[in-house]
Amino acid sequence: MAAFTIAVAKGRTADQSILLLDSMGITFQQLTSSSRKLIFYNSDETITLIFVKGVDVPTYVEKGAADLGIVGKDNILESQAEIYEVLDLKFGKCKFAVAGKPGQVLDTMQPLIIATKYPTIARNYFSRKGKSIDIVKLNGSVELAPLIGLADVIVDIVETGNTLRENGLIILEEVEPISTRLIVNKASFALKSQAIHSFIQEVQKNLV
Amino acid sequence: MMHPLLHTPYLGNGLLQQRDAIIATLKQRFKTYGYKQIQTAALEPYDLYVGNPKIGNTDDMIKVVDTSGKVLVLRPDVTIPITQQIATTQMNGGEDTRLFYIMDVFSYRFEDDQKQRTQAGVEYFNNRTPAGDAEVIALAIHILKDCGFPEFKLEIGHAGFFRALLAQANLSNEQIAPLQTYIQTKNIAEMVDYLATLPIQETVKQAMQYIPFLYGEPNEVMEKIKRHGLNGILQAELTYLVNVYNSIQAYGLTDHIVFNLGLINDMNYYSDVIFQGFVNQVGKPVVMGGRYDSLGDYFGARIPAIGFAFDVDLLLHAAKQHGLLSTLIEEEPIAIYYDVAAQKEALAIALALRERGYAVVTYSTNGDQHTASKETVHIICEADSYNLYYGKQAISFQHISELIQLLQERGS
Repeated sequence: MAAFTIAVAKGRTADQSILLLDSMGITFQQLTSSSRKLIFYNSDETITLIFVKGVDVPTYVEKGAADLGIVGKDNILESQAEIYEVLDLKFGKCKFAVAGKPGQVLDTMQPLIIATKYPTIARNYFSRKGKSIDIVKLNGSVELAPLIGLADVIVDIVETGNTLRENGLIILEEVEPISTRLIVNKASFALKSQAIHSFIQEVQKNLV
Repeated sequence: MMHPLLHTPYLGNGLLQQRDAIIATLKQRFKTYGYKQIQTAALEPYDLYVGNPKIGNTDDMIKVVDTSGKVLVLRPDVTIPITQQIATTQMNGGEDTRLFYIMDVFSYRFEDDQKQRTQAGVEYFNNRTPAGDAEVIALAIHILKDCGFPEFKLEIGHAGFFRALLAQANLSNEQIAPLQTYIQTKNIAEMVDYLATLPIQETVKQAMQYIPFLYGEPNEVMEKIKRHGLNGILQAELTYLVNVYNSIQAYGLTDHIVFNLGLINDMNYYSDVIFQGFVNQVGKPVVMGGRYDSLGDYFGARIPAIGFAFDVDLLLHAAKQHGLLSTLIEEEPIAIYYDVAAQKEALAIALALRERGYAVVTYSTNGDQHTASKETVHIICEADSYNLYYGKQAISFQHISELIQLLQERGS
């Protein structure tokens, strides 16, 4: 069977992915949590595992640098990559939400100013609602923006809601649920069918 | 330094030659299947695309206004204008017509700066027959072989398949759009949740959820369909698809075929068999096509047809990635340096060489002998002597015929 490569988002997604692969009997010998290596092989070298930044996983898969990818739905939506999104791995669950100060109205006449790390998602969401917006693209500490008047609201990932609460913000609208997905390159799906389809089935069997 | 105004990529001589070579390969193959070339205008009336119902996404089109205030678009699609041309001129007179084209399409949707793509494809105007469809698919496969791709697959589906299921479900366009995306991305998890919110029959829901799985070796796919009892509603489409497949079998090309019944093309004019071709490691299809029997209806003519288009630049990129592009040896031209006294003779030599296909450049030395010469092969013509130089080695000659013999000996 054809060998294939899986790109995995570094961090928590990687830890959970390794547990999942482990439960399927796929192990990577040199892999330790302290390792700084970015590329690993399973025992018979049929599977290559590469660790990349989450936002880059859809790109690696779309461009064929990896056949499969394990990455959060947030990064898939933001990248708009042309890929198959075959399985919901059910971990890394959280949601996209619009958040702001209590009492903030979303139905304003003026365009809403939105601070976010995810401009594409924010733009698509509000354009579906027919609402005009201005985007302030930030790369972190997005919660700060409404507090200091940089933006009216934020669009961000919310897991427990603790960060919002501690900064005096509340969820105004839920956009959509997020979880980790298994994605596949379209050419690999066609050309390495056997290896990839049976891998997908194995993963599915091992999902709780 | 001046800030560059031009951001579009500039294709150097080498890449352009490789691109020409790929286009030549495609053209040659189209011709061997009896196709004749056609070209349509780059600027088209916007009204061509805003009929009822609308064909194509008019938001992405690049529009211009002419002096009389009429709105024009830069050709966003090839199949639509060709079909319109056939329909209005009745050019095919009900006969089979095989046309190929190498044309650019334009759209704001294209990610690069150029907003322009070159398509190379065919349109075969004929009545729907499995043999005709199989021939067009065989042509697409033949081209991928010509390009030298060691591994590739053509996914075949049927545009009527998803439509037949939708026909049982009375949904609005807004409700259909997400469903289509879920099927196209094989996103079953989210599709199941979404279907639960729609007011449609349980059997149709089941069938829709199963579409993304209808992928793979054709016999296996047909088995799965029977096992899930889907053959009842989709009988007509399936029978036709199997007939096409059987014809492809006669070409001995089934190794390159997979069925993908979850295939939905964004161009909504497709009516029957649809297909797309993938080569290893390239995540987007290099070729897409299908049968569009009712597109002619928009222009008041019944002209069934099937066609496909290769994305030339994606094909070039794929060929490059697979190391299939021949590295071109760029031949340096032969330089002739002449003294004014020998100008007439030198130019006659240049002409004679060019007639024989050599690239030649000429320079007047103005009495200054030392302008020569970076080029390894050059000729110095003086009033009383003609010399051919290979680097520093000089061979004198009297007549053009002698020179040509020297060059030929050197070449072979």
